[in-house]
Amino acid sequence: MDMVSIKDRGLKRPKTERSLKAGDRRFAYLILIPAMTAFMVMVFYPFVDAMSMSFFQFTIYDMEPIFIGFDNFVTVLTDPYVLASWVTTAVFVVGTTLLTMTFGLAWALLMYQDFHGRAVFRTMTLLPWILPSTVSAFVWAWMLNGKYGVVNAMLLSAGIVDENIQFLSNDVGAMVAIILTRTWISIPLFMSFFLAGLQGMDFQQIEAARLDGAGNLTIVRRLILPHLKPVFLVTGALGMIGNLQQFDIIYALTGGGPIRATTVLSIEVFKQAFENWDLGMASTIGVLWVFTLMPLVVFYLRSLFKED
Amino acid sequence: MFELRSWQAKAGFMALLLLIAFFLFFPVYWALSSAFKGNGELYQMDPTLFPNDFYLGHFMTAISEGNLLLQLKNSLLTSTSSALLNAALASLAGYSFAKFEYPAKKPLMLLILSAQMFPFGVLLISIYPMLQAVNLLDTKLGLTISYIVFALPVSTYMMYSYFKQLPNELIEAAKVDGASNLKIFYRIVMPISFPAFITVTLYAFMWSWNDLLYSMTLITSEENRTVGPGLLLRYINENNSDWGGAMAASFLAAAPVVVVFALLQKQFIGGVTSGAVK
Repeated sequence: MDMVSIKDRGLKRPKTERSLKAGDRRFAYLILIPAMTAFMVMVFYPFVDAMSMSFFQFTIYDMEPIFIGFDNFVTVLTDPYVLASWVTTAVFVVGTTLLTMTFGLAWALLMYQDFHGRAVFRTMTLLPWILPSTVSAFVWAWMLNGKYGVVNAMLLSAGIVDENIQFLSNDVGAMVAIILTRTWISIPLFMSFFLAGLQGMDFQQIEAARLDGAGNLTIVRRLILPHLKPVFLVTGALGMIGNLQQFDIIYALTGGGPIRATTVLSIEVFKQAFENWDLGMASTIGVLWVFTLMPLVVFYLRSLFKED
Repeated sequence: MFELRSWQAKAGFMALLLLIAFFLFFPVYWALSSAFKGNGELYQMDPTLFPNDFYLGHFMTAISEGNLLLQLKNSLLTSTSSALLNAALASLAGYSFAKFEYPAKKPLMLLILSAQMFPFGVLLISIYPMLQAVNLLDTKLGLTISYIVFALPVSTYMMYSYFKQLPNELIEAAKVDGASNLKIFYRIVMPISFPAFITVTLYAFMWSWNDLLYSMTLITSEENRTVGPGLLLRYINENNSDWGGAMAASFLAAAPVVVVFALLQKQFIGGVTSGAVK
């Protein structure tokens, strides 16, 4: 009987502001469920699981994880080989991000200029970005081939080197190879970021500066770079986050070698987990890796939310 | 923007343009031209810029030997379904964040976005045994679900910023007419948000299409193998010397998506950049 009367009331009375809001809120939570579930199952749980696994010894020889407290962390932080992968990662991340941003900015400035054929260039710029990582790795491995590679042929004929460089089998060469390839892939995206940033430029300001006798380079330095500063910070953080996580290109090109010369954190964790099957160790390095990433992500999220 | 009156300015501009254009486009050209060279021409110390005769043998063997077509099909299937699934989840969540007010909104949104902090490699350590436990290891379904990890945070944000721009009056008007929230969402909001939906789908597709780590680890059988690991296993090993084949197979693997992006690139670039840096 109660049920009926409640139902009747709901039908007869016009919905009050309050119940409408409650209905909206229910709907808002309801449509959030699928994404939240996916997030919880595929991101949050795996991360918490990895966190806790870092306190256990769990290799292929252990039937069950054995709790060992902070031992994994001690092992990682005292192992010079593992610590070296932080340095390797830093070299890769800084090198790639700097090169990408420099070329991305230069290319965006060029593509902002109105010239004949610009549309074709802009369209083609996407190419490196949409190739599957394995394909990009192939393309560069072949270009940098130690015997028949076209890069070696060019360097030789220009007289820059006397004999072929074995890019992928020496430490520096392998690092150069992965930085170049990753830069090549990332330029299109960064060009788009900078192009989007350039849309907000104040043209009258540029015209005024030009009347005052400022040249092209002065305008870039005095007006364009300051205008792009916020874009620089956000894309810089975004680029570093992406490069800190990069796995595919490095694995396909060098597999982390020669020996350990290009073993960045992603490769290290992969090898520990899926080649040595040492899940405790892999998780420990993974957790430390997350802490390495955290400041950048916090910075990025804060700048995203600043205007909201 | 630049004044290119003096010859120095013109020359500087051209030099920079050609330099970066060479870096960006020459590798693609080189791969393509290598795919059409016979082995004799391919393996000589002094490489030729154009293929002497358009040799198609590498393309033939790339298709007839190995499983390239099957792998392409698997890649397209897993990438497309995960991209659509991702876009659907992101649309729902983005709409919730953009057009409703509730106390837990900001923390929940931050939570989803913070997923970028967790490297895919770390998550994989737990995803692997998880899929194993529910018998989804080495299945296309398992891979499809795992791919959601990649793009969901940014996709949600992209849909959120798109919905945010939609005028509230649109929704209010429909509400006055007595339409339910659900109806408003799929009859009014989604149809006008179709461009954003496509952008997000393409964005997510890119992630899974480019992936090597997950597809290499979570798929172990030849029958479910996708293109990335397929190419890697076939052409990169100790004694590989089939660069012509590798280039031809790469070209075939990349072609379908290059065509799609060429057609859709304009809206795509705008959508992605507005989502990530606004």
